Parts: sequence; C-alpha cells; structure tokens
Amino acid sequence: MDSALIPKGVKRCPLWQFILLICVVGAVLLWGVYAMLLCWFKGLNQTNMNDAYGFALWIWADLAVIAVGGGAFFTGLLRYIFGKDELKNIINYAVLIGFICYSSALLILAIDIGQPLRGWFIFWHANVHSMLTEVAFCLSCYFGVLTIEYIPLILENRQIDRVPFFHHLGHNMHEMMAVFAATGAFLSFFHQGSLGGVAGVLFGRPFAFREGILIWPWTFFLFTWSAAACGPCFTILITKITETVTRKKLVKDSAIELLAKISGWMLLTYSIAKTADTWYWATVTAPSMGQTLMDFYSNNPLYGIWILILEIVICGFVPAAILITKKGRKNSLALWIAITLATIGVCINRWVMVLQVMAVPVLTFESWFMYFPSWQEIATTILPVAYGVILIAISYRYLPVFPNEPELNPIETLPAEEEEAVEPSVELEQELKPAEA
Amino acid sequence: MKHKKAKKYGMVIDLDKCTGCGSCMVACMAENNVPFRKDESDKLLSITWMRIYKLTNGKPFPNTDICYLPRPCMHCEGQHEGHSPCVTVCPAIATDYSSETGIVSQIYTRCFGCRYCMASCPYHARYFNWWDPVWPDGMEKYLSPNVSPRMRGVVEKCSFCFHRYQMAKEKAFMEGRRKVEEDEYQTACTQACPAGAITFGDLNNPNHTVYRMVKPDPKHHGRPTNPNAFRLLERLGTNPKVYYLSSREWIRRAGDNYLKSESIAKKPAHHE
Amino acid sequence: MKIDRRSFLSFLIGGAAGTTLSPLTWKLMDDSAIWTQMWPWTPVPADGEASYVNSACSLCSGGCGITVRKIDDRAVKIEGMKGHPVNNGGLCILGLSGLQLLYGPTRVRTPLKRVGQRGQGRWEKISWKDAISEVAETLGDLREKGHSHTVGFISGSDRGTVPRLFDRFLTVYGSPNLMRTSSIIDSYELTLHLMQGAQALPGFDFENADFILSFGSGILDGWGSPVRMFRANSTWCNTGGKVIQIEPRLSNTAAKSDKWIPVNPGTEAALALGIAHVIIKESLYHAEFINYYSEGFDDWKRFVLGEYGPDSVATITGIDSTTIIALARSFARASKPLAICGRGQGTTPGSLNECTAVHALNALVGNINKKGGIFAVAEPDYINWPEVEMDVRAAAGMQKDRLDGAGSKKYPFSRYLLNRLPQAINSGEKYPLKALFVAGANPLYTMSDSKAVKKAFDKVPFVVSFSSYMDETAQNADLILPNHTYLERYEDIPTPAGMPRPVIGLSRPVVEPQFNTKHTGDVIILLAKAMGGNIADAFAWNSYDECLKETLGYKWRVMVEKGFWSYPDFFVQTHEESFDTVSGKFEFAPKETGSLKQFKPVNIEGDKTNYPLLLIPYDSIRLANGVVGDPPFVMKSVEDTVLKGTDVFIELNPKTAGEHGLREGQLAMLSTPVGKARVKVHLFDGIMPGLVALPRGLGHTAFDDYLAGKGINFNELIGPVEDSVSGLDAAWGIRVKLAKA
Ligand SMILES: Nc1nc2c(c(=O)[nH]1)N[C@H]1C(S)=C(S)[C@@H](COP(=O)(O)OP(=O)(O)OC[C@H]3O[C@@H](n4cnc5c(=O)[nH]c(N)nc54)[C@H](O)[C@@H]3O)O[C@H]1N2
Ligand SMILES: Nc1nc2c(c(=O)[nH]1)N[C@H]1C(S)=C(S)[C@@H](COP(=O)(O)OP(=O)(O)OC[C@H]3O[C@@H](n4cnc5c(=O)[nH]c(N)nc54)[C@H](O)[C@@H]3O)O[C@H]1N2
Ligand code: SF4
Ligand code: SF4
Ligand code: SF4
Ligand code: SF4
Ligand code: SF4
Repeated sequence: MDSALIPKGVKRCPLWQFILLICVVGAVLLWGVYAMLLCWFKGLNQTNMNDAYGFALWIWADLAVIAVGGGAFFTGLLRYIFGKDELKNIINYAVLIGFICYSSALLILAIDIGQPLRGWFIFWHANVHSMLTEVAFCLSCYFGVLTIEYIPLILENRQIDRVPFFHHLGHNMHEMMAVFAATGAFLSFFHQGSLGGVAGVLFGRPFAFREGILIWPWTFFLFTWSAAACGPCFTILITKITETVTRKKLVKDSAIELLAKISGWMLLTYSIAKTADTWYWATVTAPSMGQTLMDFYSNNPLYGIWILILEIVICGFVPAAILITKKGRKNSLALWIAITLATIGVCINRWVMVLQVMAVPVLTFESWFMYFPSWQEIATTILPVAYGVILIAISYRYLPVFPNEPELNPIETLPAEEEEAVEPSVELEQELKPAEA
Repeated sequence: MKHKKAKKYGMVIDLDKCTGCGSCMVACMAENNVPFRKDESDKLLSITWMRIYKLTNGKPFPNTDICYLPRPCMHCEGQHEGHSPCVTVCPAIATDYSSETGIVSQIYTRCFGCRYCMASCPYHARYFNWWDPVWPDGMEKYLSPNVSPRMRGVVEKCSFCFHRYQMAKEKAFMEGRRKVEEDEYQTACTQACPAGAITFGDLNNPNHTVYRMVKPDPKHHGRPTNPNAFRLLERLGTNPKVYYLSSREWIRRAGDNYLKSESIAKKPAHHE
Repeated sequence: MKIDRRSFLSFLIGGAAGTTLSPLTWKLMDDSAIWTQMWPWTPVPADGEASYVNSACSLCSGGCGITVRKIDDRAVKIEGMKGHPVNNGGLCILGLSGLQLLYGPTRVRTPLKRVGQRGQGRWEKISWKDAISEVAETLGDLREKGHSHTVGFISGSDRGTVPRLFDRFLTVYGSPNLMRTSSIIDSYELTLHLMQGAQALPGFDFENADFILSFGSGILDGWGSPVRMFRANSTWCNTGGKVIQIEPRLSNTAAKSDKWIPVNPGTEAALALGIAHVIIKESLYHAEFINYYSEGFDDWKRFVLGEYGPDSVATITGIDSTTIIALARSFARASKPLAICGRGQGTTPGSLNECTAVHALNALVGNINKKGGIFAVAEPDYINWPEVEMDVRAAAGMQKDRLDGAGSKKYPFSRYLLNRLPQAINSGEKYPLKALFVAGANPLYTMSDSKAVKKAFDKVPFVVSFSSYMDETAQNADLILPNHTYLERYEDIPTPAGMPRPVIGLSRPVVEPQFNTKHTGDVIILLAKAMGGNIADAFAWNSYDECLKETLGYKWRVMVEKGFWSYPDFFVQTHEESFDTVSGKFEFAPKETGSLKQFKPVNIEGDKTNYPLLLIPYDSIRLANGVVGDPPFVMKSVEDTVLKGTDVFIELNPKTAGEHGLREGQLAMLSTPVGKARVKVHLFDGIMPGLVALPRGLGHTAFDDYLAGKGINFNELIGPVEDSVSGLDAAWGIRVKLAKA
C-alpha cells in the first residue's frame, strides 16, 4: 500500500507489521507524553527531585543522549573535514541518530525547567559566564545544523524528490554539507564541552570541580573527547541493532571497522586523559578542599569505588583495547561487547557527573543524599527512546538511510506492481547512489 | 571627591549563644511570605531560607555534645566580587551580586527554574518552588506587600531581607540623608533572635559590630582573624559573608572539611 | 481553485516560515512568559499604609511584648517589642507565628452548638443571644435544684481580670470548683507557702545570678518566660555565669550549659539533698541566714547528714560522688548561686519534696529575696472590686467540698488539683459534675491519661468551651462560645512566669475581630446579667473593656501608651520581713509536709519485669504543647528526626537500641501500663541508656491538617501519680516496653 513511498531497490516488511510496531512503541510514547503533560500542568512536584537533587534523572538522560549523539558530529567531522570517504556509508544514520538524540535533549530540557514558558529567557537574558548559556546556544544551533543535515535525507524520499523544487533544494544542500559539518563540529565541540563545564565549574562541589585552562575546566575537554570516542560506538551499536532487527546487513564492514578503529583510539586516549584527570583530582584538587578520594566513594549505599573502576577500566580501557586491535574489531562478538561497554561507560560518566555530584555531601554535617526517580521521570525519559525508535522506523522504511542496503541485499525480482513511471529518468541512477548527507 | 566605599553586608552568628530555638527561621518565613504545606517533614522539599542544622560531636553518652547552626544564604563573594557559586552559573542572570551591598539577589520573575544555581550552592541555601504556594482561605491576609510571593517553578532563598534595606534607604532619602545607619537596616532574623545570637551589619565599616566581631582580613577575602570565628567551607573559596563564632573546637572544625592529618589552624584555602 | 500537492506544500512551508518571522509568535511567547509571572492564583498582597501596634503575647505565660506591623487593616508581621522588660525585641517561634492563628483555618468563627454525637464535629451556628440564654438557663436550673456546686470551671490561669471574673461568677453563683491547669508553679507556690509562709509566685533574678543549678528545668526549652530565659542565657554567655544542667537527656538546655550532669531520672531530689549534705558538712552554707532567719535547720541537718552522704546519693542518682562534692562546693562558693526545678517546660508540678529540697539549697546559700536569688513575688493587687453579695444558694454551694480535693483534709494546702478531677468524676465518689466550662485551657489534650480524661468529660452532661480555636476540648464540647484571639481583644497580662518583679502587660486589639466572636469577659458579664439577681449585681459593668479600664485606673493610660505597666516602687523585702511562717523564719522542715522520714522518691507506674525501660517526655520550644498547638510555620521547624510524615520518633541510646535489635528509622511499638503507640526509632547518643524519650506537643486530633494526625500525644501513654503531700501530679515518666513493630 505504501510501496510508492519506499525507496527503490529495497525490501520492507508488510505495512501491517510496520503499523503494529508503531502502535506498540506509540503506546509507550503516549505514556511518556502523558507524564510530560503532568509535569507541565502540575509542575515538577510530579518528580522525585528535591532541593538536594535539583539535577536528576533527566539531566543525566540529557547529557547521556547528547554524548551518544556525538557520533553525528564526529562522523561528520571525519567524513567531511578529514575526508574519510568510507564513512559516507554510515553518515546518514549517524545524522539521524544525532538528530533524535538532540531533539530528545531539547524536549527533556523543556520538561525539566520549572517555567517552560520562560525557557527562552536563557537566550534573551543570557549570562555569558554561565556554562548553561553556552550549552543552550550551541545545543540549539547544533540542533539546527542537524536538522539541515537531516532534511536532504527526507527530501530524498521517492515522492518528495519528484517535486523539482525539493529535488534541487536537496541537491543544493548536499553541496553545502561540508560547511554545515564543519559548523556542527565546532558547535558540538563547544556544547559537549560546556556540558562538561556545567559540572566542572562547580567550585562549591569538590566532587565535580576541576581545574582547567582559562574558563574551561578539564571536564570541558573530557566531555568532548568522550563524546567523540563513544558517540560513534553508539552509532555502530544502533546500526548493529538495526541490522539484527531487520535481519539485513546495512552498512559495509569497512565503514564500521574504520569508525570502530578511530573510536578505539579516541577511547584509549580519552581513558588515559580521564585517568590522569582523576589522579590529579584525587591527589591535588580534592585534598586542597579537605577531601580524599574515598570520601566520595564511601558511607553510602550505592556509590562505591567500583563505579570508578567500571567507568574507566571496564568501560574505557577494555573496549578501547578491543577496538584498536584488528582482531577485536573483526570479531563480531568482541565488537558488540566493545561498543556496548563504551556506550555504557559514557553514560556512567554522565551519571556520575550529574547524580553523584548531587549525592555527595559537602557540608560536614550533612550526609549522602539518595534519590529514586518517580514514574513520571522514568516515563518522560523513555519517551525519547520511543520517539527515536519510531523516527528510525519511519526513516528506515521510507528514506534511503543506508546507501549500501540495495547492494548488500540485492532483490532478485522486483514485483511488477511496484513499477511506476518515474520521471525524470536521471533519478533512477541517483536512487542507487549512496545518499549523501 | 572622596570615593564612596561600597557596603558589604554580612552576618555573624554566635553559636555559643544560639539555642536552636527556631525564631530566626520563623521570623524569616513571616517576613518573607514563605509558603508552607501540610507535610513539611521532608526537609528536601521544605522551603526554609533560614535553616537550623543540628550538629553532633559523634561521641557516645555521656560525652555527647550538640550544637545548632542556623544557615541563611551566605551571600558568597567568591574569588572576586560577584563570583558567587550560584551567580556565575545562572544562565538568565536571575540571581545577581550587588556590588553596592554585597547581597546576592534572586529575581523570581526572571528565574525559569533550571536549578543550576541549586546544584552549585554547597550550602543548600536555595529552594525550589515545587508546588504553587497556597495559603489557607483567609490566611493570605497576613502576606506582606514588601516581598512578592513566588510562583511555582522558580528558585528562592534568603535575601538578607533586601526589602528592609530598600525601605531604610528610602526613609533616609526622604529625610535628606544619604547614609543608612547600622540600626536602620537589620534583618528579620537578627531582630527576632531571643538570644541575640545574630548580628548584622556592614563588614566594610569598622564601626559596625559585625566588623569588630570577626575582624575580616581584606587581603584574604574577608577571612576572619578572630580565632573563634569561622566561615562554612572556607576552603572552597566561596568567601561567604556569614560568619560563625564558637568557643568549641569541634564545632569550628565541623565548619569545613579537613584531611585527618590537618589541623584546623592551618586553614589552607584552595584558590590561593 | 485546485490546490495541487506542490502549492499545498509551498503553502505549508511558507506558512511556517511566515509564522516564525511574524511578530505574533514573539508577542505570544512574551505574553505567555508574562502570564507565568502574574499567575492569578499566586496572591499579590495589597499595599497600603503601614502602622505599628504595641500589644502583648499571651500564647504562653511568657508575657512578651509585641509590636505588630500592619498594612491598612491587615496585620502582616508580629515582632518583639523593643524595650519591653521581658523580651526586649526578641520573640519566640510561637509568638512569631501568631498571625497564622489569627487568620488560620482553626478559628471558631461563630458560636456553635453541637448536633450529633460529641466529638463528631457536627455543629450548628447559633446566635450569641441564644447561646448565652441557653447557658443561663442550664445554670439557672442547676442552681434552682441546689446543684450550683456541680458546675466546674477549668481556666488556664487564675490571675488577671478575666480569670477573676470567672472566679467572681462562680462565687456569686455558688460553686467552689474553679480549677487552674497545673504546672510547676503549683509546687513552687506550695513550697513558698510552707517554707516562707508566702502567698506568692516564685520570681527568679536570673539576670543577676552567676551560677544556675538547674534540676532538669528547660531554661532553653520553654521553661518560665521563654524569651526572657533565652536572653538570660546570653547574658551568662557575656558575664561568665555558669549553668549546670542535671537531667538524663542532652536537651538543648543541657547542650548549652557549662556542664551537663546526666542523672537517673526521678532522683533529682536525692541529688539536691546530697548537695546539701556536702554544703552542710563542709560548713559552706550561709551561716547568717541559717542562724538568724531559719527554723528547723538542725532537724533537717540531721536528716540530710544521716541519709544523703555522697556515696549513697551516688548510688541513687548514678552520679559519682566526686562530681557531687565538686558541684556542692562550686554552688556554695558562687557569689550568686540559684537552684531551680521543674522539668522541661515545667508543665507538670512534680513532687513537692523535690521542690522543697531544691528550694532548701537556695536557703542554704541565703539567696532568698535578694539580688541574683529567688523572690516570693506577691500578686500586684490592682484588681479591687467590691465584695460580692452571696445569697443562700451561693453560700450553700461554696460550702461544698471541691471536687478535685484541693483544700481537703488530705491535701489542705493545695489550691487546685485538676489532675485529680478525671478520677473524681469517673469514680463518682463525691458528686457528679453537671456542667463544665473551659477557658484558656485544652485539658483533653494536655492532661495525662487522655483516655480517662475523655471518659470523665463524657460523663459531664454540659461542656462549654470558650476557645478561639477548634482544639480537642472545643471539639468535644456541647457549646462553643469563641473568644476573640489575643490580637483582637483587650486584656491584662499579669506578671510573666518567674519574673522577679511584677509587670502587667496589656493585650490590645491589633485588628478588628475577624469573625463573630465575643470577648469571654463580655460573655461572663452578659451571662451574669441574664441570670439576674445577686449575680447580675456583682457584674455592674457594661462591658469587659469598661471593667478593665476601671480596674486599671490611672495605669490604663500608661499601659495603652507603653504596652505594659511595671512597678517602679516594687521593693525587695529584707530577710526580717520576708517570712510569714509561724516562726517568722524560713522553715527548713515544715511540719505540714509530714515527717522527714517519710521522704521517698515518687513511684512511677509499671513494673520492671514487664516494662524494662523508662519513658520520659521531652519539651522543645519548637513544639507548642499547651493551649494551642504548633501553627504551620512552627511545624515547619520541627526536625525530621522528630517527625517524619505522620510518624514520631523516640530517642534511644544506640546501646539500648542495639539490645532491642532496633536500627535508625525502624518502626517500634511502645507500650506502657496506660497506652500503646507506634513510633519510629531515632538513635541519639545524648540520652541515657535504658531510657526512651518522646516529644510533647504532637498527636493532636484537633486543629488543622497542618497539625492534626501527626505523631502521638505523650499524655496518651502516661497517667498522673499523686504526690502524697500535695496531691499534685508528680509523675516524671512511666515504665515502658519496646518491641519491633
Ligand atoms: N499585576 C501587576 N503586574 C505588574 C505591575 C502592576 O502594577 N501590577 N506593574 C508592572 C511594572 S510598572 C513593573 S516595573 C514590574 C515590576 O516587576 P518586577 O521587577 O518583577 O517587580 P518586583 O517583584 O517588585 O521585583 C522583582 C524582584 O527583584 C528582587 N530584587 C530586589 N532588589 C534587587 C536588587 O538589588 N538586585 C536584584 N538583582 N534583584 C533585586 C526582589 O527579590 C524582587 O522580588 O511589574 C509589572 N507588572
Ligand atoms: N509599594 C510599591 N510601590 C511602587 C512599586 C512597587 O513595586 N511597590 N512600583 C513602582 C513602580 S515600578 C511604578 S511604575 C509605579 C507605578 O505607579 P503608577 O504610575 O501610579 O501606576 P498605576 O498604579 O498603574 O496608576 C496609573 C494610573 O493611571 C491611570 N491610567 C491608565 N491609563 C491611562 C491613560 O491612558 N491616561 C491617563 N491619564 N491615565 C491612565 C490608571 O487608571 C491609574 O489610576 O509604582 C511604584 N510604586
Ligand atoms: S533565633 Fe537565635 S537562638 Fe534561635 S535558632 Fe536562631 S540564631 Fe539560634
Ligand atoms: S550560599 Fe549558595 S545561594 Fe547563597 S550566595 Fe552562596 S552559593 Fe549562592
Ligand atoms: S533556577 Fe533560576 S536562578 Fe537558578 S540558575 Fe536557573 S534561572 Fe538562574
Ligand atoms: S536575613 Fe532575612 S531573608 Fe535572610 S534568613 Fe534572615 S530573615 Fe530570612
Ligand atoms: S514566649 Fe510565650 S509570650 Fe513570649 S512570644 Fe512566645 S508564646 Fe508569646
């Protein structure tokens, strides 16, 4: 029924299956939307946040999706600026994932603030000294860039592309993509960094505070670095999951391996830098404020030193070691483990830099603060996941997201009824060409 | 012409005198239209601009000792004037440092409730309005017009009763004076404290009692030179304008984090 | 016009772009933000002209002066009155919250008559005229039948014009049953009467004392005139005055004292005698006072030296003998030592022996009626009304024994024994109570063994409450005749508890009465007039205000201006003229208290095997436990280690908790011989092992949702224990067992 919309040369599941999937995931989405409306209309009392946990699950989710969404800027950077051509096979999907992550982040922020209707004050009454201002500006701008990067893909939908205006628009946008990729990389560098800065500048919180260069604490650079390292891993992870679900190979191994290798090296260097940072913090910064490393990891029911080991060693050095070795990258299971660990690692890092920051007592006469999110928080956090699944499903079905797909999954006989007059005829060739984002 | 020196309002709380009676807490609520709810026993959801902490020395019976520590906003100066932990982070300049008075303000109609300032404040002096403020029918009659009630979704905190400063200044102006005298501007908590444990005044003015009590060292961001005086979390470099006095060593030590090996006398400050 | 796909899409996109760029979007965004800044459901307090009214707070017996800030006709803030002799600008947490009572939801807004069962909370509004005639009729009937003595009146105080109007009314009506709520003042009055022959209140010159030996008095927990005590404590901080706090729990007072001496609960009297022992043995006493102005010293000395040596006292009290000796020496050698008693806020009278033993210490160091010491402060006699003329019925009624047994053969010296009333009603031993009036008191909450009190109230067919607030007693009354609150009425506030010099405060209307309430003084006058005859004649005033103005005479103008009257001519009596006993001297061993050999500690309820632990109450200034409960602001100040949700915490030493397998925050079941309660455990090193402490002031069933239903009322767990000499309630605690819930 919807075959006219499906890209040429690929096979998709029956429409009813697709609709069923959308309905199931849509139900989850609606649950999240309900929780979101509760938060907007009744206020943040719907959450379990409190005056000690001003930042909680949402801000973690925000930082985490932005970190894993970092695959978009970094892959774009490699593809357009460093000319890693091979990555053209995965760049569309990286952009799509990035778009989902960033739109989710903005949505979460809109729910998270106490006065959503005044959210724009952050732009109108901007305080240039605030890391959050930097985050807001770069995030919004970069979201704009991602939208621009995503639009040509939409325009490549078979039906839309038939409209000459859109056809040309898409074409022209492709031409300029390097400029946007560069802008995006620049913006991304700053907002990933400023998200790190959000915690790092808190000089009242010895657990979070880091020294740095000029106005940028080390966490600024570490956040960018870790997003660049782990974002692509997440892109690969989602690609692998998509391949598993669709039971198709969608991206050439060469593209995956190249991205995995670069990620591996980024992750290794990041882990070394993170270790050095932790070392300096534990031996110089924190003691100067009267605290020892173990003060931050004891006397509470959750946060033990295990979390540091898990984050840096198990989710840092271990996946890095797998990814930088050819054998590791080529072994499917090892690759799966590495990209999963790397993704978990960056999420733990963001958790620690948001939630543990809130949990550690600073006044000597306070004790650890523990918190468990309310269902409204959980629902609204799952909301973007559902939204992401739906957007991926739709995009995958109707847009030429994976340029390698027809090549990797050749269709023997094209059903006759799908044949339609296509004009102009040049389009035909283009259909089979990898889409460029 | 002589340059007019800016004021630096600050507070000294004598913990030897403080009895934990709570008058300061309630005087503040009554003065500043602080709302209340049916259950206020979750202290992480309870708005108390002035909060009294109960400290214990951790020793077993009968060597136990307790001390009450009232905690308003510290009106941190930071490393350079205005570099308060909360002011620097607020993305919308909804909280600001006044260089005229040293007071850290909070502008409710500007605040959009991101709570970054709360995350930044190590003293937990900031409170979020998780609920709409609701007064039982008829009780809104006692609300003071001098302080606007806050709407849901914004952050609030101790203002050093800034409206009292404004009123004092207005009065002085009407009477053709330029100076606000020490006793003309006193905070509600200072005034109410039955024990006289709170003293308020200009830390830049050697004639004011607060100055004489702590003898702030201008070379070290006002660090007290009185050996019994201390500030909370001095080592973080927040440079609060609220000082505490105690004759008991364990209490002074409880004011900051120290490594086991450190003695309290050393007081190394991080940013120096 | 046919719209093709192309133009449709163009329209869509163009529209989107147009909307974004049009000023409308921005205007709407701005408007919505402005709307959030002025939400109509967030109140905007109206501005107006500011003014200040000086008055007095009467939420407790502290008698603080207040200055109320007003905007037009609204009271917006209560502040302490600067220059007031009691509080000089400071104010307690309750006094600061007074406006929440004035404007709060707990106000009784109009006279109410019960419909439905007692305590069911179903009322009908009734006019003042009907209400007063109903009371007059009931009282008239009883009087007709010769039952005038079956009318009882519970009053929070017996001083000042309003309580005196109650007294006058009962007298001319013919009932001896006026009862005052009890407190340590009862024990002190009795002590001063027996040892000094004085009819007076105790006054303590704290400001000039330099060594305070406190037998559990919560100097900083609401004892005496609370704000004055806080101020006194700061004075000692400045002057180097010392405070020694003797009590089993590290209260706020203990924490602020110079030395906290934990004592086995209930053995304070023995400690006082042990200290006396050392003072006498080491001849550290004030010889001049003992030799010239005291009587019975030798008998007493023999008794003390015989039985209260430091070693035996150490065994009783759990305080080692060296500490006792050192304490005695420093007390006796201090230049202005002062010993005081009355546990916590002094809301229970305690044992008379304890009070006399502590008072004897003051005599030993000769600090009676002198600077820095304790004074017998006679009530200023500004109330000089013409004698009432009693008719036969009144005279007959007044001849009857009091129901509570005060002044009886058994308890000849006590003036009021409210604690004995429930038992007297429940046992029916004397005569039934047919009508009961309650003013300025909330006995259904404040009296111990709540169940028995409730049962007694249920037996009284006609209960009238004068409460301004829907408290527990009002809730269980048949008729509520709501008084104006203290911020809406004139009233004299006589000398605050413990003041060494008389001061009369003037409470005056800060705002117009907010509701259809009436001054209780006016109600009494109207009631008297409705009853006619002698009764009406005794109340010749047209209104209470007229009565007050006339009573105060020349003082009125000054009081209106200053807010209070102090007695500049108050002079200190010399020791020669101080004592009005038979001997004319201070009596160390007044015979009336019984022979010294009968001296024994108070036996509290419960046996050791079934109830291995001791339960004691503790008072906090942040928990009002008297006639009003905590207003919302004060509830807000209650710590989360005292109350969490609706669960109250008991304090338990970690050692005791360990023995019972209890952890911080765990639920436990408390059972005493009187009642049971579910509580949470808070571990506190500052409490003696073997003890369980529970705060007073929670567990209200009345007032508003901000207070009711939270925690438990200590009085549900304890019953009164009669003091063998005074008949007053001497219980300081009760045995208890503790189990995991
Ligand atoms: N309903 C209604 N709304 C109105 C108006 C009206 O008449 N009725 N009038 C309008 C007009 S004319 C005006 S000007 C606006 C005023 O609107 P706002 O400016 O929002 O007015 P306020 O609430 O008086 O002040 C805001 C807050 O500023 C903080 N503040 C006080 N002093 C300082 C300081 O020195 N520094 C900083 N940073 N903060 C400070 C205080 O906490 C105060 O609550 O309201 C407009 N809105
Ligand atoms: N206590 C207190 N006092 C304040 C303030 C505060 O926050 N608290 N805020 C101050 C501030 S910021 C301001 S701006 C002032 C505002 O003070 P005002 O300027 O007095 O403001 P309004 O109360 O709005 O009164 C304006 C009057 O103009 C009338 N009016 C409306 N439209 C027109 C018109 O088109 N022509 C004419 N001729 N009249 C019109 C209105 O009916 C009203 O009577 O108040 C100041 N005073
Ligand atoms: S009012 Fe004074 S004594 Fe009471 S808690 Fe506050 S500072 Fe301490
Ligand atoms: S105490 Fe907290 S809120 Fe107050 S100025 Fe310092 S950082 Fe800001
Ligand atoms: S919550 Fe309000 S005051 Fe705090 S940082 Fe955010 S906008 Fe600023
Ligand atoms: S200074 Fe004013 S605002 Fe701050 S705590 Fe005291 S009363 Fe409250
Ligand atoms: S101490 Fe008593 S009289 Fe004084 S303010 Fe408090 S409640 Fe009122």
